[in-house]
Amino acid sequence: MLIRLDHVTHTYQPGSPFQATAIRDVTLEIRPGEFLALIGHTGCGKSTLAQHINGLLKPTEGRVLLDGKDIHEKGFSKKELRRAVGLVFQYPEHQLFEETVFKDVAFGPRNLGLAENEIKERVEEALERVGLTDPGIAEKSPFELSGGQMRRAAMAGVLAMRPEVLVLDEPAAGLDPQSREDMLQLISHLHSQGTTVVMISHSMDDVARFADRAVVMEKGAIAMEGAPEEIFRHGERLESMGLDVPSVCRIGMLLRGKGVACPEEMFREDQAYDALLALWKGGKAHGVQ
Amino acid sequence: MADAIFTLDHVSFAYDEDAPLAVRDVTLSVPFGEFHAVLGRNGSGKSTMAKLMNGLYTPTEGTVTVCGMDTRDEKNTWEIRRRAGMVFQNPDNQLVATVVREDVAFGLENIGVPTEEMPGRIERALVDVGMMEYAERAPHLLSGGQKQRVAIAGVLAMEPEAIIFDESTAMLDPRGRREVLNAVKRLNRDKGITVIWITHFMEEAVEADRVHVMHDGQIVMSGMPREVFTQEEKLREYRLDAPVTARLARRLRKAGMPLPEGILTPEEMAEEVAKLC
Amino acid sequence: MAFNNITLGQYYPVDSEVHKMDPRVKIVLLIAAIVAVFLAQNLMALVPVMVFLALAARLSRVPVKLMIKGLKPLRFILILTFVMNLFFLPGETPLLDLGFAVIKRESVITAVRYSLRLVLLVLFSSLLTLTTAPIALTDGLERLLSPLKVIRFPAHEMAMMMTIALRFIPTLLEEADKIMKAQTARGADFESGNLFKRAKAMVPLLVPLFVSAFRRAGDLAMAMEARCYHGGEGRTRLRVLKCEERDYWACLWVAVLILGVALVNRLF
Repeated sequence: MLIRLDHVTHTYQPGSPFQATAIRDVTLEIRPGEFLALIGHTGCGKSTLAQHINGLLKPTEGRVLLDGKDIHEKGFSKKELRRAVGLVFQYPEHQLFEETVFKDVAFGPRNLGLAENEIKERVEEALERVGLTDPGIAEKSPFELSGGQMRRAAMAGVLAMRPEVLVLDEPAAGLDPQSREDMLQLISHLHSQGTTVVMISHSMDDVARFADRAVVMEKGAIAMEGAPEEIFRHGERLESMGLDVPSVCRIGMLLRGKGVACPEEMFREDQAYDALLALWKGGKAHGVQ
Repeated sequence: MADAIFTLDHVSFAYDEDAPLAVRDVTLSVPFGEFHAVLGRNGSGKSTMAKLMNGLYTPTEGTVTVCGMDTRDEKNTWEIRRRAGMVFQNPDNQLVATVVREDVAFGLENIGVPTEEMPGRIERALVDVGMMEYAERAPHLLSGGQKQRVAIAGVLAMEPEAIIFDESTAMLDPRGRREVLNAVKRLNRDKGITVIWITHFMEEAVEADRVHVMHDGQIVMSGMPREVFTQEEKLREYRLDAPVTARLARRLRKAGMPLPEGILTPEEMAEEVAKLC
Repeated sequence: MAFNNITLGQYYPVDSEVHKMDPRVKIVLLIAAIVAVFLAQNLMALVPVMVFLALAARLSRVPVKLMIKGLKPLRFILILTFVMNLFFLPGETPLLDLGFAVIKRESVITAVRYSLRLVLLVLFSSLLTLTTAPIALTDGLERLLSPLKVIRFPAHEMAMMMTIALRFIPTLLEEADKIMKAQTARGADFESGNLFKRAKAMVPLLVPLFVSAFRRAGDLAMAMEARCYHGGEGRTRLRVLKCEERDYWACLWVAVLILGVALVNRLF
């Protein structure tokens, strides 16, 4: 399934004194099976962009195409679109509402009009995927769960729709280090099983670790686009936009600033380990102390 | 201890009579003017401890004193809270008024500061956090980092000796986090305000005077950042992780690279590696 | 985002003599103006009231269009009162025979008077809310009601509640928007079906919204306590309300208005 945003512009409250253009002339393709990271400041338009992918927002100008078909054209099934493209908002646990975890996860499949046994099968599968497998947990109230568990229950609610594309708005925000890591591993696992992932993230270390491709947004437009290695090669440019770079990328930039021939291809911990070790060995060979 | 602003002496706390202890037998003393970071995973008791430090909670066992005042003595309550202010996690849920200036005034009104004194104190507090130009704005139109700085100004106007930050950066983006942390470091350095910084971002604790790690209601590690962050195994046991740079430095040392111990930041790392090349 | 810019109430922020008035005085004078409207026993007596309103509106520099806009939600009630009065009020001089009913001269005059009265009431209230920031209004109300504290009327608490409501309405609207979108993304349908179905569809929106409101309330209570809030006792205020010359003049003019209405009542 190929999603294409074609010259999409979105203006909030057009014609009113509060008119604000959130994204401007964005053209972007989301390729089947890829792990795409969306980077940028709060207010740069990345959340607005994400909401266009499953038709929650309608472009003021431009089109959103799913396999070549305009999703806002008459006759296009929004239901099918929402099933195929799952959207996990920031702090998704704030949307839980049912009496039990099971019922809450079943909300999506039920809206799809599935049969009861199909719903049950999907809910169980989704809960298993997010690791909520403790006996009895499905019958608990979602409000009795811990913060990390609530987040995963909310994720399961989207996964139960069996989306082909998963759009996540800062899925790890507010979690402690361990729950963060669990969440990222879960997303990475879903990706490895064939789900297309679009992830909004503020953590460049996470982008460096997981993404195939990254899009940097600034003031509603795409500022940079490419594989993480290409993006992070321009660390100075990212920093000038007030964005972070992965910490090891920063070490490389500082070293190059000191005239040390540190390779630019260094944005993950293992790469830095190899590169710095090689630098030291090279230095030793030249007899520099 | 005369030079300690916060003293916790064998403090335990449970939310209910039959609830498990959220804080267990914690003993801690924080000298005036220092920056202490408290780390721990969710549910480790770090937030509960923060609320014990300004009398929002009173200990089930043991004693907490703030500037020599026992938090259990009700007549001290308001003076303790004035001297030890608190900034919370959710930037939306701690601003009361519909205009920034009036929100900063809220605390001053509560402690009965004369009206003529207020504008000056509000202005100084807003200037100190770099928010003066937003004095007449509505809080809901500010960014997360700006809201948190307004919250700090609200505390600052009350002229406190210490500010406790209860995960005040957890809901912010990196820019907001930097804004807030920089403002706090400045207050600590220039005004000598004691800071208790509760967080689960390891990087934010790197420049603290002391780091305390909480696990299961107890303080399980305490020391200078270098002492704490170099004990990677122990940190992992408490489900925390050393900053990436610290971890990398340790791996490189293990591989034989002659790096000094206690490298925590990319700047230190680049400095040391450059010496070797 | 979409709700970020909503304006609360209908405050129109410009600098005018009316804006600068003490909110307490404005509230009291609104009541006095309402008294004047009800005092008027005939159409002629409403003329000075209209003149006064026109002058006050002019002085406030609020566009007439904005003031008229305040009448829009009331248009059905206005038309209804007018028509009802037209047909059902007693009268003697027939004016128009519609076949099924006869419109009489007296009922036309009374219908116009009643409708005009309603319009004036709304316009005077609009003038107050257009020229007074919600927070100042709250402040003014609190202080006007504070003598009632003797009979345990919670004036301060009421004002504090209003302030907090004003502060949190935009936040909660934004949240409602977000939750609605999130549930829509899970296939929820808020827009179609009959009334019952639609009401049921609100559950996935309302439950999280209430949960969130309670969470916020808890957080806020804790934050207020940490900032030494302990009720209205011993509290000082950043804003001191002070009556100035313009306020005394305004009172005088309203007094003149009431006298004028009384006078016209007698003449006609």
